Amino acid sequence: MKKRLLSVLLAATMAASLMAGCGSQTTTTTDTSAAGVAETESTKESGDKVKLSIYAQYADDDTRIPYDYAVEQLAKEYPNVELELIVQSQDDGMTLSTLAASNNLPDIFQAGTEIINSLRETNQVMILNDVAKETGFEDKVYDSCKELLYADDGNIYAFPYAGQEYVLWYYNKAIFKACGLEVPKTYEELLKCIEVFNSSGITPMSMFGQEGWVTTAMYDAIATRYTAGGIKDLDEGKAQITDQAYVDAANTMSQLVNAGMFSADVSNTNYDQASALFLERGAAMFLNGQWYIEDATKALGEDVGWMYYPAPDEASYEAGKTVFAGGGSTSGYAVNPDSENAELAAEVAAFISEKYCEAKVLYRSNPLVAVDTGVTAETELTPMMQELSDVIPTITSTTKFTWGLTNSIFNTGIMDQTKFLLSTQYTADEFVEEMDSVIKRMND
Amino acid sequence: MAIACFTLPALIIFVTFVFIPIIQVFIYSFTKWNGISGAVFTGLANYMRLFTDNLFYTSNKNMIIFAVIVTVYQMILATIFALAVSNTKIKARKFFRVAYFIPVVLSVTVVCQLWLSIFNTESGLFNQILKSMGIDFRQNWLSDRYKSIYVIAFVNAWQWMGYQFALICAGIKSISTDYYEAAQIDGATTVVAHRKITIPLLAETYKSCLVIAITGGIKAFTEMFIMTKGGPGTSTYTLAYMMYSAAFRSKEYGYGLASASILVLECLMAIVVINALFKKSEADVVKTRKFRIRKEKTA
Repeated sequence: MKKRLLSVLLAATMAASLMAGCGSQTTTTTDTSAAGVAETESTKESGDKVKLSIYAQYADDDTRIPYDYAVEQLAKEYPNVELELIVQSQDDGMTLSTLAASNNLPDIFQAGTEIINSLRETNQVMILNDVAKETGFEDKVYDSCKELLYADDGNIYAFPYAGQEYVLWYYNKAIFKACGLEVPKTYEELLKCIEVFNSSGITPMSMFGQEGWVTTAMYDAIATRYTAGGIKDLDEGKAQITDQAYVDAANTMSQLVNAGMFSADVSNTNYDQASALFLERGAAMFLNGQWYIEDATKALGEDVGWMYYPAPDEASYEAGKTVFAGGGSTSGYAVNPDSENAELAAEVAAFISEKYCEAKVLYRSNPLVAVDTGVTAETELTPMMQELSDVIPTITSTTKFTWGLTNSIFNTGIMDQTKFLLSTQYTADEFVEEMDSVIKRMND
Repeated sequence: MAIACFTLPALIIFVTFVFIPIIQVFIYSFTKWNGISGAVFTGLANYMRLFTDNLFYTSNKNMIIFAVIVTVYQMILATIFALAVSNTKIKARKFFRVAYFIPVVLSVTVVCQLWLSIFNTESGLFNQILKSMGIDFRQNWLSDRYKSIYVIAFVNAWQWMGYQFALICAGIKSISTDYYEAAQIDGATTVVAHRKITIPLLAETYKSCLVIAITGGIKAFTEMFIMTKGGPGTSTYTLAYMMYSAAFRSKEYGYGLASASILVLECLMAIVVINALFKKSEADVVKTRKFRIRKEKTA
């Protein structure tokens, strides 16, 4: 009898634990309707307080200032809505994936292309087509950023705020001048610069090699000098890593590494260390996104500039002036369709996105946003941003940042392998071989 | 009934939080799953891929290096230090006992950051000391594809040596002083007494220490995650890191769980081998004890 009782208890415990993770998962794709928006209008006016959870970046000035501004504006426009912020973790989307797997997604969440694609499969992300129309968000998106609004199936799954972004090759004009060097146009000239900088005790390029996205951006910037598609074509399966252009790019990067372009400890250097080295004039060059313009200008004033990426020869250098590494992605504020206030959350997501853009223009001197908010910066554009703004209309092709890549296997592979390529002990052949197996795996 | 009542809560917790998840790991290792949508059964595909993946072999090689360094460093130093502080003639024994244990109570992150600064190529203490001594042996300790795993293993061994030290100290304390007195009367030196009495009687303690050190080495993850992020490139990956990378970065949960399954099997295998190795010495100790008791009775 005792044994039987014990067995029953154990069996019940096992069954309960097995069922624990199988919570009911609503699998309806919610397409918001006009009725839904009308409902939120009444919520807007009624005295009921609505609490919405939001998972968003809130780490530095570039994310804190726009978020705080958006919340401030929301309090004026939607006095009854209160946002409960869950600060986004820098964990490769692990937290968001776990929340999705346990059906606990926040009402509004910032998400990249890759996670949105996964959530589409399980109907855990709301289709926002109607809200985008009714709130006027769709019309406000710049033509150049329209592609960031629509997913490959033509639907809108997130309200983007970041516009097209670019990988910029920053350089310290004063250091170049002091060493009697011109801005390098070809790799041959770049190698000469590296030699001079090293002999003068200056790090040629400061890089935070601990982060895979920037090492990928470096490889991508080089690859775009050989083929305009860069890593974007690899991600989309339009090219193979064994194609001559990508092999040449790997060889070039390896050659630069072996020539001493980076510090010996580059693979363990974090952003703060690398940035400090450049801003304190210890390094001649630095690779980062265009969002770094503000910080670089603040620290280095007129001594800092950005250059076009060097190329194998002058002809390809000139031709490559319209091709940039980086680009935008279908990412932004997405909405949980299972939220109790899904319609209101969608409307708030659109509002937050728009205000986010507004703050970036007003307070971050960053006109590269997805939405035309009609505001102008409080201060004049920095010379570097002005130069970039002048160049943008001539840009014919961009690639992708790692967060815009669609395949997580490729994303992990390219980040690991480009980090490895920063080692003098790793060859371009090994890189190509490993990436080839990654790409084969991703196509399986 | 009473036994059942006392063991049931612990049993339920163990089954719920350890046993069932391990079973689930094995089940999901046979699927293709991105962690969000439904898992699709793929049979042995993940295992087939695992055995042809270069990274799997790199991870296993690193795991062996890590386990060997941790085991050798910790067992040897912990034994020497424990024997030293158990000697009543040594001054400041209490201080050393505490000092050797301090790294254990520190956070792993703190310890890793400390050694990151020490091993920094440009400004690290280690290279600076070598430089000041005029020794031309400046190394990229953590950026070197071949050396970094040894450095990381050393950091782990350094931090957790105090734990093994505490276990061995406790083991030494439990040995009756009668044996040492008898050995002294027979003219045995301290070294001989430790070799013939202390070390054989610590067999059970060494078994626990060995299990902790080797399984700790097999499932190594934290140090490489903090210090090198598995790098340079993938050169400091271990099976645990491979599991993390596959599941949480590549969103290949099935593949990640296949490497986790191998990790569990390797840990179990290590425990079985250690048990088999110590079975003989345990039998010898029991035989010696029985012989001594018989001798005492006849005397």
